[in-house]
Amino acid sequence: MLTDKIELKDFDKMDPEYKDLLGRVLTIQADCEIGGPHLYVERMLPAAPTKLDQLIVARTAAEEIDHFRKVARVAGDIGVDVSFVLSQPNEKRFVDTFRGLITTWEDNAVFGFLIDRVGRYQLEEFYDCSYLPLQRILPDIVTEELGHIEYGYNKTMELLSKGDEQKERVQKAIDNWYVRALDMFGHTGSSRAERYRYWGLKRRANEQARDDYMKEVNPILEKMGLRIPDPLKGRRYM
Amino acid sequence: MPQPANNIEKLDEHLLQVVRALHGAVKQGVSHSTEPKVMDNAIQDCKEILDEIMTGNVSEWLK
Repeated sequence: MLTDKIELKDFDKMDPEYKDLLGRVLTIQADCEIGGPHLYVERMLPAAPTKLDQLIVARTAAEEIDHFRKVARVAGDIGVDVSFVLSQPNEKRFVDTFRGLITTWEDNAVFGFLIDRVGRYQLEEFYDCSYLPLQRILPDIVTEELGHIEYGYNKTMELLSKGDEQKERVQKAIDNWYVRALDMFGHTGSSRAERYRYWGLKRRANEQARDDYMKEVNPILEKMGLRIPDPLKGRRYM
Repeated sequence: MPQPANNIEKLDEHLLQVVRALHGAVKQGVSHSTEPKVMDNAIQDCKEILDEIMTGNVSEWLK
């Protein structure tokens, strides 16, 4: 297990596997950052229920674009050009969750509440990681992700207060995004995830991170009066 | 030191400007929450900026 801390100036001296994995994880992270706005801007910017919500959709997108910029810079400095993901169609996103389009306000709210939370988990994987330029961009990004999660939670609660019919619509969105969220952590026992850990680029095994996520989210769902979906139904990455 | 990716400086600068412009428009709208016309203009500004980013025509941006 690598315990050294690596600066940009040390990068050339690193093992090819380290370089490859760092480039890969930065590319996927950049794709996920810009993948969010590509899911919700088109339909939710014009359709958010109030003008203030429309502006918050725009602000959220601005923050995700800035996260992309920061990750792209770290990648670009080691010679990895991630700009292609800016024009990538949604169907080609690295992570399944970002393929498609968000078309309802319920989905938008639950996306913030559940999927941005997975985003926070993914970023937390890099806390104290071996590559210092990546570690340095994390605090501001995570702070903004926490804001997206809170906004999603508040909007979900607002919808739940509008009666049974609305509650069913929220539950349907939860049923959809919950399993997608669990899939985002990847395969249990992934050998690549093990290599990320070996090189100090991630902290937890996929299944550990997923388990931690469920332990955090399930009590919140129960407290909100929502059903916890079957964690195995509809899953693609077990 | 590794060789940086082509245009990384220019892309970084362009996106930084985009992000600042978006935050400026949002701030303008939010701070005039009792003036629907100002909010509509701010939303329209955000839409125009975001449409450009969603199109993702990087080579055009960096000209």
